[in-house]
Amino acid sequence: MDKLNRFLMMLSMVALVLTSLVLTYSVVSRYFFHAPTDWQDEASVFMLVGVTFFCTAYVQYHRGHIGIEALAGLLPRRVNAVRLFFVDLVSMLFCAFFTWKSWLLFHEAWVDGQTTSSTFAPPLWIPYSMMAAGMTLLTLQILLQTLARLTNKPEHAA
Amino acid sequence: MSDLTLGALYGAVTLVVMFSGMPIAFALGVVATGFMYFFMPASSLDTITQNVYEEMASITLLSIPLFILKGAAIGKSPAGKDLYSAIHTWMHKVPGGLGIANVFACALFAAMAGSSPATCSAIGSAGIPEMRKRGYSPGFAAGIIAAGGTLGILLPPSITMILYAVAAEQSLGRLFLAGIGPGVLLVVLFAGYAVYRARKEYRMALDIYQKGGEKSAYLEDEHFTLSEKVEMLPRVLPFIILLIGVMVALYGGFATPSETAGLGALLALALLAVIYGVWKPKDLSPILGSSIKESTMLLLIIGMSLLYSYVMSYLHISQSAAAWVVGLHLSKWVLLAVILLMVIVFGFFLPPVSIILMTAPIILPPLREAGFDLIWFGIVMTVVMEMGLIHPPVGLNIFVIKNIAPDIPLKDVIWGVFPFLLLMVVAVLLLCVFPSIATGLPDMIMGAK
Amino acid sequence: QTALKISHQFPGGTLTEGDFRDRLTRMFAAEVEKRSKGALKFSIYPGSSLMKTNAQFSAMRKGALDLSLVPLSYAGGEVPEVNIGLMPGLVTSYDQAYGWKNAEVGKELARILYDKGIVMLSWIWQGGGMASRGKPVVDPDDAKGMKIRGGSREMDLMLKAAGAAVVTLPSNEIYAAMQTGAMEAALTSSTSLISFRLEEVSKALTTARAGSYWFMLEPLMMSRSVFDRLPKDQQQLLLTVGAELEAFALKSSKEDDQQVANVYQKTGSKVVDMNPAALKKWQDIAKTTAWKDYSEKSPSCANLLKLAEKTL
Ligand code: NA
Ligand code: NA
Repeated sequence: MDKLNRFLMMLSMVALVLTSLVLTYSVVSRYFFHAPTDWQDEASVFMLVGVTFFCTAYVQYHRGHIGIEALAGLLPRRVNAVRLFFVDLVSMLFCAFFTWKSWLLFHEAWVDGQTTSSTFAPPLWIPYSMMAAGMTLLTLQILLQTLARLTNKPEHAA
Repeated sequence: MSDLTLGALYGAVTLVVMFSGMPIAFALGVVATGFMYFFMPASSLDTITQNVYEEMASITLLSIPLFILKGAAIGKSPAGKDLYSAIHTWMHKVPGGLGIANVFACALFAAMAGSSPATCSAIGSAGIPEMRKRGYSPGFAAGIIAAGGTLGILLPPSITMILYAVAAEQSLGRLFLAGIGPGVLLVVLFAGYAVYRARKEYRMALDIYQKGGEKSAYLEDEHFTLSEKVEMLPRVLPFIILLIGVMVALYGGFATPSETAGLGALLALALLAVIYGVWKPKDLSPILGSSIKESTMLLLIIGMSLLYSYVMSYLHISQSAAAWVVGLHLSKWVLLAVILLMVIVFGFFLPPVSIILMTAPIILPPLREAGFDLIWFGIVMTVVMEMGLIHPPVGLNIFVIKNIAPDIPLKDVIWGVFPFLLLMVVAVLLLCVFPSIATGLPDMIMGAK
Repeated sequence: QTALKISHQFPGGTLTEGDFRDRLTRMFAAEVEKRSKGALKFSIYPGSSLMKTNAQFSAMRKGALDLSLVPLSYAGGEVPEVNIGLMPGLVTSYDQAYGWKNAEVGKELARILYDKGIVMLSWIWQGGGMASRGKPVVDPDDAKGMKIRGGSREMDLMLKAAGAAVVTLPSNEIYAAMQTGAMEAALTSSTSLISFRLEEVSKALTTARAGSYWFMLEPLMMSRSVFDRLPKDQQQLLLTVGAELEAFALKSSKEDDQQVANVYQKTGSKVVDMNPAALKKWQDIAKTTAWKDYSEKSPSCANLLKLAEKTL
């Protein structure tokens, strides 16, 4: 899991730089070669959707999705532990549900051959599959963290 | 159940789930899907993923990671420190010059980065130790940086303005331009206060010394030779190139805002490579990594907030809440005051991104109805949200300061920030009396709306 | 009593004032409520306040949205056949456009949509033209080298073949892009030309008053799964009221074609109409580009195009 997360992170770094290149290229191509590109926006959207979903499990691994922690200091230690367990459990259930629906969306786009309705018209299964895969990883990540809480193991050993 | 009762229930459940400490992104999703399950047709649940995707698949929103990358490229490299030192070298003779230098450095950095905490940590990590070394009281030093950092979302580019532009259907280019005047106003107010406060602290230090007390660092003379000053100049040049390059691209008709984001990020990375030799994957990966982490976190919140506002709209909560506000027949300015107060209260708990996403569907219709210019309001709301960034309990910038200078007591930080909060209130009042502080520049450059 | 939701992307107004597409949904709601004696009730969500524009079609198919008034071709990625709803040069006048519903092409299109889970209630067509910050674009030659936003794949294909430099950007950036010159001309409906306030940054306008290669099908549609659940008399009522409102739509579109001319004239823009010779040239370009591209998508598309050509 850890290795996979880091690999996806690296892939995303490349995608982020590539997106800047693509957008810059579209400006250059339009002004210096009078050849406007019509694929830059969607190519960028797809790459950045990929970046977001591929890295969301990594961010969760580092507990980087921010929340309001105002209560943490006020509650007794035992109550806090129960609270955190439930927070993880409910988050995990939600993400699992979202993952399931993402795969259904992907399946529908794949079977129907859906594309975006633009001039470039790339297939929609590309971003949908990235969303579904990313959410699957996120669900697994939270599952590991929930189990870690249950067994009282230090989180990063999971 | 009436729409408003349902709305109250929705609000209450949101509050409980948010305060449980669940990450904001998941909390929004959980509340939305929960209400979908209980109050909406089962088929709604089939559309949640497509709705989230449609929200995120907007090139305007997806310029956010690129603006973050540009800020990180400068903030996480020696460039930020250089910018600060150069301004300091030139400003130190002015009374309170060090404070002014910090405000200016924050402003310049803000004009390159899209978020406030980024600005805060980039300038503060060099600025706070330097100011304290020169005798500035810790609270004052922290206050300048915390407040200066908030300029990150007012001076373009700004992540919150991107979201606002999408929510209010306003031109992002125009909104960016409208932020410049108020940004300059705040810089002037902050700098003016810095001079006043530094002189006061200087006089106190002098007083103590003359009465035989210890000699504060305030009283030490600092000197830079002309050649030292000239040497610092080329270090600022890259920033000026970056700043002007991006502005020309955007307002000269060369690039759309999202293209500008890509161009700016690439230019920032190129400057790093050429000037600081930062180009190896090993050097770049912390910069790219932190940008991705921050933007993933933000974009997930943005995506899930769509579900949240979709449910609010489907169940007629936003419409009836908006209609209720309109039905109160408040006078124009009372309405504005009430709405801004609400934004301030939200600012106690939520980051600006979530405030915009969650309140826009309710507050924008009454404001439109009352005849407010939504570009102007976007700016006023931004200044008010800046206040939320530095007031307790969860001012993001205060956390950043606690990270940079852990030894400054929280009480000092809060008191140090307080005068700047008042200055922001002054800025809001000035904006209400003279709206052209915000709208003047876009009207001049892009034609009156 | 059944509560139904109508979603659209246009600015919200009232029954008597504002964007005619919003007004049409309100008139539809009021009339159906009245005639069904309150058995059918509607709430209207203007300005994409319920869901994103592009999500509406799919939501209707899934039964998550009841009704929507939306450009049909927006769903082209999902159901390729619907791209015929904005095919350059295929419809050149309102007379021809409003003939579709009862012609073979209309019946076949309605059948395909019904298969995909959509019921057509009201066939609404809009004409469009081009605003430009330089000279007016009438003849294809005028478009050479110009940076133009065509707004759809099919228009872009034709404009490209005419030698234009096609730009894509989101609609909320059109005004700014025209202002700075990142874009030199925009092709869209008369109503949108007004609501985008492009007259402030334009010097010329080509209207749809004397015909256009830009006619768009923008129907009021309903989710089939919701429609099928209603009793027969209510189904008939929805279809009847939908059909009755087509006259209002036609009148309003024509008014907007004239209104946009007035608005641009007021700011000193050069306002010109399309002429038959130029229209023919655009059509010839479209045939070898957009039409060809469309009919190659599937046999069903090719057949639909063939039926549509019969109405020319
Ligand atoms: Na900024
Ligand atoms: Na004009």
